[in-house]
Amino acid sequence: SNLSFFVSVQQREEKLLDASVESLISRVAHLKNALHSFIYKLENEYERLTWPSVLDNFALLSGQLNTINKLLRNEKTPSFRQQIIIPLLLSPDRDEELAKLTEQRVPVFSHEIVPDHLRTKPDPEVEEQEKQLSAEAARIGPEVAQKQIQTLNKLCSNLLEKLNNPRDDRDADSAAIRQNKPSFNPADTNALVAAVGFGKGLSKCRPPGPVAPGHTGQGPMMSGGPTLQQVTIGGGSGQQQGMGPGAPQQQGQPGKMPCNIKTNIKAASSMHPYNR
Amino acid sequence: MEAPPVSVLPITGGTINMMEYLLQGSVLDQALESLLHRLRGLCDNMEPETFADHELVYLLKGQQGNPFLLRARRSLSHPTVPWHLRYLGQPEVGDKSRHALVRNCVDVATSHSLPDFLNEMGFRMDHEFVAKGHIFRRGVLKVVVSKLSRILVPGNTENTEPLSLSYLVELSVLAPAGQDTMSEDMRSFAEQLKPLVHLEKIDPKRHM
Repeated sequence: SNLSFFVSVQQREEKLLDASVESLISRVAHLKNALHSFIYKLENEYERLTWPSVLDNFALLSGQLNTINKLLRNEKTPSFRQQIIIPLLLSPDRDEELAKLTEQRVPVFSHEIVPDHLRTKPDPEVEEQEKQLSAEAARIGPEVAQKQIQTLNKLCSNLLEKLNNPRDDRDADSAAIRQNKPSFNPADTNALVAAVGFGKGLSKCRPPGPVAPGHTGQGPMMSGGPTLQQVTIGGGSGQQQGMGPGAPQQQGQPGKMPCNIKTNIKAASSMHPYNR
Repeated sequence: MEAPPVSVLPITGGTINMMEYLLQGSVLDQALESLLHRLRGLCDNMEPETFADHELVYLLKGQQGNPFLLRARRSLSHPTVPWHLRYLGQPEVGDKSRHALVRNCVDVATSHSLPDFLNEMGFRMDHEFVAKGHIFRRGVLKVVVSKLSRILVPGNTENTEPLSLSYLVELSVLAPAGQDTMSEDMRSFAEQLKPLVHLEKIDPKRHM
């Protein structure tokens, strides 16, 4: 009866092993499909791909990896490390059954593929990296390590707090700040557009601003320096720009004051702004 | 005087009638850094490009109607580079719902004898200014942030005085006539610059 009890325990363990391997296979298959479609998207749809979509994909992969980890950590899952896999038959011939099982990735179970597929140690590069990390961790000592852990935790919790606080609070605060510190002045916009559009405030023959009461927005623009008239009379070289044949008048624009600076109207060819 | 319509222009080498789509706004000097920072993030990754230009605006007075306006621009930071001559037509009045200002635009590069040439043709310089600032690109969109300064002594670009306490911000695209998809892209880009800058379609005639 001891023997039969032992056999039944063994059978149960085998069933458990089978079940957990099945479920691990299916989880890994999900992960593989997610990776496959993500890689496809990156290679073929990169022009349309948006950052939030990329993040979604990474989040999916992360979730799936988490699920696999949870499965492996589950107490009901037998320890896979204690299982030993021994290849019983190696053959250079093609094995159709194996090829079908592995979606044509492993068509032959031979001496060449077995060391790679049944390896239990990490890749040499990964082993090297892990060795370096372990050495680094040993080097810094437990107190320093603990401090680093605490700093990281504090940063994360600060960030989480900021992110989790209701948006309304944040918006109200920033709205108030924004009102105190405006970043643009509409009057300036109009003045600059007018200057670059048709030379308002730039032309020597036009007064610095219209007299019409409707335009009150000239303040900010002119406050920076002397008015146009002062500048022209004080700093000018004495040669005024000829406005062409004809007196400097209103040029067909209503509401503009006529130019009250005397200009020398000389023949066109003798006047040049850049005397050479 | 407007440039003659496309059908009348001689077809030389397959030149296409180009339109400039434009949105304008401004940013106060103290907020410039924030804007540049945001533009660096939003726009194509390239070396920050600054410029210093001297623009001269020439008028040709006809018998009647509005004078014909041409803009000549030269680089102060690269004095040997060719001059740039630009014609901008009147803004197209059409669709009120169109989000950007649209106008005909003709650009040519010229030699350094441009001012002489224009004077000989009968143009007179109406006004000039110095523009210094930054250029950014995002695909076909171009963003120019410039400080406009008036020239105190004619021809002397060293002696200038800023026109205002703000920088002019212009978002523009050059596209062949008929392509109207630009203004939507421009509008969504402009949204991303709020609330730092409000880029809008400003009709210059309103501020005459």
